[in-house]
Amino acid sequence: MTTTTEAPAKTPLVRLTACDKSYGNIIALGGISLEVDAGEVTCVLGDNGAGKSTLIKIIAGLHKPSHGSYEVDGVPVTFDSPREALERGIATVYQDLAVVPLMPVWRNFFLGNEVRKRLGPVRRLDIDFMRKTTKKELLDMGIDLRDVDQPIGTLSGGERQCVAISRAVYFGAKVLILDEPTAALGVKQSGVVLKYIVQARERGLGVIFITHNPHHAYPVGDRFLLLKRGKAIGYYSKDEITRDELTAQMAGGAELDELHHELQRGGKAAAEAAHVLEEEVQELGITHEPTAGS
Amino acid sequence: MSQTVATPAPPARDERLGRRSALARLLARPEMGALVGAIVIYIVFFIVAAPFREATSLSTVLYQSSTYGIVAVAVALLMIGGEFDLSAGVAVTSSALVASMFSYQFTANMWVGVVVSLVVALAIGFVNGYLVVKTAIPSFLVTLGTFFMLRGLNLAMTKQVTGNVATNDVSNIDGFGSAQNVFASQFTVGGVSIRITLLWWILFVAVATWVLLRTRVGNWIYAVGGSAPSSRAVGVPVNRVKIGLFMAVSFLCWFTGMHTLFAFNTVQSGLGVGNEFIYIVAAVVGGCLLTGGYGSAIGAAIGAFIFGMAQLGIVYAGWNPDWFYFFLGALLLGAILLNTYIRRRAEASR
Amino acid sequence: MFRSRKRLLAAVLALGLVVTAGGCSESGGKQAEEGAAGVGAGKASTARITIAMVTHGAPGDTFWDIIQKGAKAAAEKDNVDLKYSSDPSSGNQANLIQSAIDSKVDGIAVTMPDPPALIPVIKKAIAAGIPVVAINAGITSFAESGVLSYFGSDESLAGEAGGTRASEGGYKHVLCVIQFQGQVQLEDRCNGVKKTFTGKWTKIYVNGADRPSEQSTIAAKLKQDPSIDFIITLGAPDALAAINAIKDSGSKAKLGTFDFNPQIPPKIQSGELQFAIDQQPYLQGYEAVDSLWLYKANGNILGGGKPTLTGPFLVDKQNVDFVGKFAAAGTR
Repeated sequence: MTTTTEAPAKTPLVRLTACDKSYGNIIALGGISLEVDAGEVTCVLGDNGAGKSTLIKIIAGLHKPSHGSYEVDGVPVTFDSPREALERGIATVYQDLAVVPLMPVWRNFFLGNEVRKRLGPVRRLDIDFMRKTTKKELLDMGIDLRDVDQPIGTLSGGERQCVAISRAVYFGAKVLILDEPTAALGVKQSGVVLKYIVQARERGLGVIFITHNPHHAYPVGDRFLLLKRGKAIGYYSKDEITRDELTAQMAGGAELDELHHELQRGGKAAAEAAHVLEEEVQELGITHEPTAGS
Repeated sequence: MSQTVATPAPPARDERLGRRSALARLLARPEMGALVGAIVIYIVFFIVAAPFREATSLSTVLYQSSTYGIVAVAVALLMIGGEFDLSAGVAVTSSALVASMFSYQFTANMWVGVVVSLVVALAIGFVNGYLVVKTAIPSFLVTLGTFFMLRGLNLAMTKQVTGNVATNDVSNIDGFGSAQNVFASQFTVGGVSIRITLLWWILFVAVATWVLLRTRVGNWIYAVGGSAPSSRAVGVPVNRVKIGLFMAVSFLCWFTGMHTLFAFNTVQSGLGVGNEFIYIVAAVVGGCLLTGGYGSAIGAAIGAFIFGMAQLGIVYAGWNPDWFYFFLGALLLGAILLNTYIRRRAEASR
Repeated sequence: MFRSRKRLLAAVLALGLVVTAGGCSESGGKQAEEGAAGVGAGKASTARITIAMVTHGAPGDTFWDIIQKGAKAAAEKDNVDLKYSSDPSSGNQANLIQSAIDSKVDGIAVTMPDPPALIPVIKKAIAAGIPVVAINAGITSFAESGVLSYFGSDESLAGEAGGTRASEGGYKHVLCVIQFQGQVQLEDRCNGVKKTFTGKWTKIYVNGADRPSEQSTIAAKLKQDPSIDFIITLGAPDALAAINAIKDSGSKAKLGTFDFNPQIPPKIQSGELQFAIDQQPYLQGYEAVDSLWLYKANGNILGGGKPTLTGPFLVDKQNVDFVGKFAAAGTR
């Protein structure tokens, strides 16, 4: 495991040290350490069930770690609710984006943080301000919406993701947790979202980017945490790992090997597939030795 | 959708917005379909029913519509917030019974009964809302339960307290006159008698519309109905909003109950059953989505107007009374179809 | 004691809210009106028996409440344990009768709104040795069912009485207001009116569960056909809605009604209501229990195989003062 202690003056925005989380006797997460600096993207990679969502829930304040420490700006914290995490500048953009599809873009943008102005004894929404701000904030992120009054459900998946990101940024997020933002998107839309992740980083935010796709993670990430069955199987900074190594780690060299053997036993057509797989493995530069036995 | 980043200084108003006409924007409002439906039904009865054309008839129709429409406003807000209240019909009767029996039994000023009844009504709304948010059982089922319970309570309590199934006449209790002025008076404008419920109805619709479109609570109502988990994630107090909506329904049930009491002096404990569906029909005809998150208070008002107009229009037209419910159903279905058609057109033109 | 229990309940109803001294009414209210005297009598010394009364009454209807009151008064006097149950659907009513048979009661009083559905189970009761009397509905088929007696009104006859009365007043066009669709006895009343009324006859259906709606609908009808000069409502509460509707529409129509309740006498006294046709439900309930008791105690049968009529009893300005005071007590 690499350390970043060579720059002690710099306190990371978020630091997890040896965090465990167990539900009864099921260990969902074991001994995870992670750091996020301002202006950095930390990617968390792993397959389904690797513990990614448990990790997010701890950082977002939905769960407390069973063991280990969680520090924000170098101060140990225990969050009782996502609201508390939010107050410390840790914002989460979930897969469902926490948007209400039928409501206009600007109402979604300010939902839960409505800006109001006084009108005698009552307070009413400052609609003009919210419309303009939404438009401006989205434009700053590079999204030019025709009409901020259109229901957010009419936007494309990438655009919706970006509205959610710029909303978090506008409301003072210092650390942005993005939960599989590209999972349900096509190549083009994914590219759009990655662009905004870079934008957020350029603005000096710390980003935690959850994904299972190394091709999305590598171009934008500064650090990579690989999870498997609740354990860290690697934690690298960008100069320590190449894209192919990352892919190989993610794909799991040993598993590819097994798959290869299995296919070889399956007759002619399957053997052909096995050959293709073998080439791919070599291309990726997987250096894993075949396991003994089968 | 284009992704072009335009000139460095973004114009305050997008030039493309101007091209989307004001008419298209208006047509996209949830209540537009219902408004067109109301106009069509009005024209139909205006042609076929001579008495319908008179101003006094319109006044009767508006009175009838207002007694549905007042509760329908709150039912629409609740539906936008993603919930139903099947107990609304009998809750009207409960409020009237409580006010009447309290003042009579304690020989108290009528206004004391009115206030006690308000407290009881709000408590009913709170219980409905609390059960829905705490149990996470669909409100359709929870309020079906409270509907039957209230129905039983209305009868059992009335019998226990008065010994009869209707309340005693309260018209000579102190404060009856002033309460009647507030809840059930009428006045004449240009020879046409106007019921005060009409004014209250307009007021409630205006307030509800303003709350929905111009306040934070309104934003939250749309949000909790559109997606409760998302609302919760961004910090909207979903449970409080929902409980508040149930209490808003019971508040307007109380109001309508007060009207019934002061218009008729006595209340029968079996009244109100079935009206809960009229309120829901008014909200849906008015453009509220049954699944929540979309609709308007004005739409519900127009829906109630359509219902009242169809109900009385059939009588004004002198159509065979045996076929009354058939005609009523056909008119409502027609209004809903027209509404849906217009909304689809509006959406297509976006 | 009974009085204080009522007060306790009212207090519970108020959710513990304290009435302030300034909130008292100087007129009206309970303190100003004396409690009902009720029908009191001595008590029989015969052995205690159980009688089931199974009706098609809707819960919460004044009319059925008065039937129950009559039955209770007789039960108290005759040392009878009265079990009242009701269901407007005839299938359910048949089940209720069956459960009375199963619990081996000493006598059953039933209404017969739907004879084909109820006669089989009534015959079962008779076969089980339980005496049965019919009340209120079923005048045409009580003999066929084998019950001992029938106490009730003939709805058609009552309707005819209303029609005759309206004709005598010289009215030209009567409107019959039906508050629930599809109920035979209501249709019978209206058809009875039609039979004897000399002028034009029209009927209308209204929503009896919604007073303002009922009122508006009647007002609309009066507007639609200004020639209507007399209205007959089929239930007492509906008459109150009709009174408001007449005021609303500016019509000159007069009003008569079927049935009776405490609000009716003042309206007759004030002239807003011409007459009320009472079928004396109290008497139906009372006689049902009393006749079963007489049968058990002394082998008597009332009516001689013919219906015993409890109505129509016409209340108008002439006799309203006399009948009105009983209505105020909730027994008419």
